[in-house]
Amino acid sequence: MTTPSSRTGVSGFDQFLTRKVGEGGRVRTGIAELDEMLHGGFMEGDAVMVAGSAGCGKTTLALQYLVNGVKLGEPGVYVTFEELPDQIYRDAKNLGWDLRKLEEENKFRIVCTSPNLLLESEGDSLLDESFRDIQPRRIVVDSLSHLAMFVKESELRREAYRLIMHLKTKGISSLLVWESPQMAGGSFSVTEVGLSFLVDCIVALKPVEIESSMRKALVILKMRGSDHDKRLREFQITSTGIKIESAFTNYEGVITGSPRRVASEKFMDLFRGAAEKRK
Amino acid sequence: MSAAQMLETLLASEVTGDLLVLFHRNPGLIDTLDSVARRIGRTGNSIEEDVRGLVNLGILKTRRIGRSEVLLLDRARDREVLDAIAKHLRNLEGVEKIDNTKF
Repeated sequence: MTTPSSRTGVSGFDQFLTRKVGEGGRVRTGIAELDEMLHGGFMEGDAVMVAGSAGCGKTTLALQYLVNGVKLGEPGVYVTFEELPDQIYRDAKNLGWDLRKLEEENKFRIVCTSPNLLLESEGDSLLDESFRDIQPRRIVVDSLSHLAMFVKESELRREAYRLIMHLKTKGISSLLVWESPQMAGGSFSVTEVGLSFLVDCIVALKPVEIESSMRKALVILKMRGSDHDKRLREFQITSTGIKIESAFTNYEGVITGSPRRVASEKFMDLFRGAAEKRK
Repeated sequence: MSAAQMLETLLASEVTGDLLVLFHRNPGLIDTLDSVARRIGRTGNSIEEDVRGLVNLGILKTRRIGRSEVLLLDRARDREVLDAIAKHLRNLEGVEKIDNTKF
């Protein structure tokens, strides 16, 4: 069988060297505003966690990261434990992404399996066919939370560490989806099982209620080895994917689930009200 | 195995049809017999024979992952089988057309 490497004549060793030369580079998400927040993109080869509650856009962000990767010449693998691929193909098509076509072009693969199989597999035997076929530079695991259903809490960290290190060794930039419970109230934690320290970067997505409407917020909580935008930015899921908008500059307490307008804004409102009354 | 025999195997039962639809819609599915069965609303025992038929045809292949045996679609072989059957059906159609002109 002709693999992409044999077609191009690039050996594994050449790729290894190229990868080494590229160290320290950025992996662009292709979402302009997010890349700006990340000062160019995620760090190459890093493990990134995208955390958030159900329905806040984690899967959309993850798919967009892979589809944009393909456009940038970086093939990607999407590992799903939950949704069947045909549902993912359909949802992606609604956002303008033809994943079946990308698969036919050997630039993308969806692997659908059970979490216990990923844990049981030694080395990369479960993913090796996809790795061999398309030589991915990006991978999404949707979601790490599903692994938690198959292992004890103490083992989850070890297994997640094994998975992350395996992908890092291969030079693949990973994006791990974590479904966190509804993050509300006065405290905020991404995972309750201590996975945060295993990953290099954490992007948190959170639905927030502001003036009786549900809006979505995105924040970069952590990024090893690089500065990043610390502001909470509003985002929307549009017909073409995630669109990041302005920062929640006039509110505080957004991440805790109890947003309130900052004092200066309240005063401005009062002044505006008084001025209108005078008219 | 001839294309006619392949076609016979694929049309053998409703379970085989369900398995073909599942793997064609989800070519990246890699799972155990029991999990595959669950995904089409059946039990492992009830699909075992049909899975064996598809493995013998080469459309599905098995692999050992840790302690488990998994099933997955052999994309290349699947394409070959479908092409052979399509060719066979085209030939049948041609024969039918000739027969129609006769009568």
